[in-house]
Amino acid sequence: MGFESICEKCEELIQPFLDRELDEAERREAQAHLDGCGYCRKRYRFEEELRRFVRQACAEEMPPELKAKLASLRTPLL
Amino acid sequence: MAEPETDARRIAEDARDRIRFEEEVLELSDQVYRVARRFVPTREEAEDLVQDTYARAFRSWRSYTPGTNLRAWLMRILTNLNIDRGRREQRTPDLRPMEEGDYYLYNRLEEAGGPQDEERIVERLSQDGVVHALAAVPHDFRDVIVLVDIGDFSYQEAAQILDVPIGTVMSRLHRGRRILKSELADEAVVEEA
Repeated sequence: MGFESICEKCEELIQPFLDRELDEAERREAQAHLDGCGYCRKRYRFEEELRRFVRQACAEEMPPELKAKLASLRTPLL
Repeated sequence: MAEPETDARRIAEDARDRIRFEEEVLELSDQVYRVARRFVPTREEAEDLVQDTYARAFRSWRSYTPGTNLRAWLMRILTNLNIDRGRREQRTPDLRPMEEGDYYLYNRLEEAGGPQDEERIVERLSQDGVVHALAAVPHDFRDVIVLVDIGDFSYQEAAQILDVPIGTVMSRLHRGRRILKSELADEAVVEEA
């Protein structure tokens, strides 16, 4: 397998790797490649940061009054 | 003559179970809102959707099996309501060929601004830009991204919530993230130009 195709495979594995959805053999394969390849490692770190950034940017706090409205929907106690 | 007492005990146990259920469900409301907010375009719609979800959850509490995944059960109600109420904006499915790989956004940002620390390169994106880019992803793809990346659900849980095979979750996630990154690249690079 040439250098380029190993990086291409790594590119495919990075997302499930970050999702912790790879099986043990795939995880080891991706980790070994990342340990030895600066090109993919840089991109892996970027993806990791991007995830954090998306999560933080998209997490909008619930308006406090909504919490009270939800509690008011509970079944009244007899 | 022990029957009335048995009945009373059963009613009391039932009430206790229901109260516990309602409390557990309410504790999840922040997480439910975070997901709902990204399913629909406005805050008002998200609030309505969450209220409808809770009203239905409280009504159908008996259909929840204690000890199973309550967060996923609740999210399933939310996604079904979102579909039922036709709240999804009708967008034509994204048919652009997706030739860009997963490294596309990094490569574009690197090209636009020269190589730099990969942990800082993300700072060139704006928070609003991310929210807009996510909203621009067609809903089938976006729903999966929201569940996995914002709701912290596993592929398996997302498959149960959306009632699709796990392979569909994986392919939508894969494609959805690429669409998201392509939107982000367009925004970030245009802004810088």
